[in-house]
Amino acid sequence: MDSLSVAHIKNANKQIFWIIFFVVCTLILTMLSIGQGSSTNLTMWKTVRIILGLEEANELQSSIIWELRFPRILMAIIAGIALSTAGALMQGCLGNPLVSPLTLGVSSGAALGAAVAIIVGYSVVNVPELSIVGNAFLFSLIVVAVIIKLGDMNTISAETYILVGIAITFISGAIVSTLQYFASDEQLSQLAHWSFGSLSRPDLVNVLWISIAIIGLLPTALAWSWDLNALALGGDEFAISTGVNPRALRKKILILTALMTSIVIAFTGLIGFVGLAAPHMARIIVGNDYRKLIPCSAVFGSFVMILADTLGRTLFAPVVIPVGVMLSVIGGPFFMYLLLRSRG
Amino acid sequence: MANLLEVSNLSFNYGRLKVLENLNLTIKENELVCILGVNGAGKSTLLKCINKILPMDTGEISIDSKVVNDSDPASLSRLISYVPQSVKSSFSIDVFDVVMLGRRPYINWAISKNDREIVSKTIHFFGLEEFAFRKFNRLSGGERQRVVIAKAIAQEPRLFLLDEPTSDLDLNNQIQVMKKIKTLVEDKANPRSALIAIHDINIAARFADRIILLSEGKIIADGEPVEVLTPENIAEVFMVSSEIYNSPSGNIQIVVKDEINN
Repeated sequence: MDSLSVAHIKNANKQIFWIIFFVVCTLILTMLSIGQGSSTNLTMWKTVRIILGLEEANELQSSIIWELRFPRILMAIIAGIALSTAGALMQGCLGNPLVSPLTLGVSSGAALGAAVAIIVGYSVVNVPELSIVGNAFLFSLIVVAVIIKLGDMNTISAETYILVGIAITFISGAIVSTLQYFASDEQLSQLAHWSFGSLSRPDLVNVLWISIAIIGLLPTALAWSWDLNALALGGDEFAISTGVNPRALRKKILILTALMTSIVIAFTGLIGFVGLAAPHMARIIVGNDYRKLIPCSAVFGSFVMILADTLGRTLFAPVVIPVGVMLSVIGGPFFMYLLLRSRG
Repeated sequence: MANLLEVSNLSFNYGRLKVLENLNLTIKENELVCILGVNGAGKSTLLKCINKILPMDTGEISIDSKVVNDSDPASLSRLISYVPQSVKSSFSIDVFDVVMLGRRPYINWAISKNDREIVSKTIHFFGLEEFAFRKFNRLSGGERQRVVIAKAIAQEPRLFLLDEPTSDLDLNNQIQVMKKIKTLVEDKANPRSALIAIHDINIAARFADRIILLSEGKIIADGEPVEVLTPENIAEVFMVSSEIYNSPSGNIQIVVKDEINN
């Protein structure tokens, strides 16, 4: 094998090493996070031993771990994977580093659904506990339907998708504002609370279903890595010359990312920052090759989500700061630091 | 020699503007054909129609006697590799990986030893070793152009479609790149051809087996450089006066004198 091939393999191995390193860091952070909380009779190591089945837990301990902390942390991991993977895919297929999973208007659709459930009192799901989730999911699916319809148009470009997303955001925002105008204080408070984004809403069963859906969708994303590399590097003409159909690829990716985003934010509320920042953090480590960027973004997304949630519930305990707020507060400056450093 | 590319009655319009009108052309195996014409003559549009980047309005295109009108991009990319005028990169990758994208039509997910060897060989062939692991967007315009041509070569197509491949290159690199393309096209063991849209009339005269003069979407002249590049044809297409000289190497050289005013 010649020196260039050897150097290429060496580079790839180095990047894979970093991905594995950050997977290990995320696992350690997960364990630390499960051990952190206001309960005094559960130390970190005790919690870890209980989770690994090395120690018996009493009823209270079992309840704290399996009903409170574990679903929350698992939701942080899954939401991080879903939103950051969706962000990386969207940035590549739209050729724009500024887009995030919320760009297409999926989140505004979900917010409108939540507002209809809370203020109008109408929900597509007759189960009271799932009325907001059901509406948020259905309304975000309407946005997915718009994307499918757009994808069928011959003249659709990456810019059109972004502009339609902005238009959907404005229209949904205007309807939500109108509904808020007629809402009671209690309804306003409930809607504001939903929009902060929280990982504590779904129970363990829901989190497991969400996990199955997201993990099931991930291999599809990875299968498009080569096509995304061509499209993200050189745009439509370059992609076609490489054997990629950019219009079909863009449509498939946007449907996938909209679904992943809808599934998560219907349960958690709005969590925005991670989908923009985590892929860029991953790009600094492994570059723009989507075969490595997708897994690395997923790992970074999980890491950042767990970190933000853990700080949010421990820094000012017993007051819990919503994960969406914490992400912006700690993630924003850190993200700026990373970008300035890498570009410097 | 067998025909590699056959284009029949190709027409393309941008709205009401007729860009290509009932165009017919054939390219034989091991043939390097240059298309010359003024800006807007339809050179780039012709290349894009052949590669299905632009959908033709009417016509039929076949490669190796197989009609490719309904081919999907993946199978077409094993027959044709197209080099655009410029590639603006949103998310840059290493030069080695850009050239590796030429292997995309043959790769499912994992890179084989053979793919890596072909990429490595192409990088050596094009003298890109120095920046094989540099990011594509940190290269100069000319270096990028060479990398994208190398990617097209790694694609191992039957037909190269090159849209102004020397426009960003210095004089030395223009000659080098054209020599390398000529070497590939002349390889009888692996018959390939190239269709090149180009502005440099002397480069075309030196390297082309055939020259096509295109004006307002129609072929004005088609033949060997010495037949096509006459002062009359050049005046008709480019509106300039010129003198033609025979160089010691056997090629013709064109000296453009002045513009011709109507």
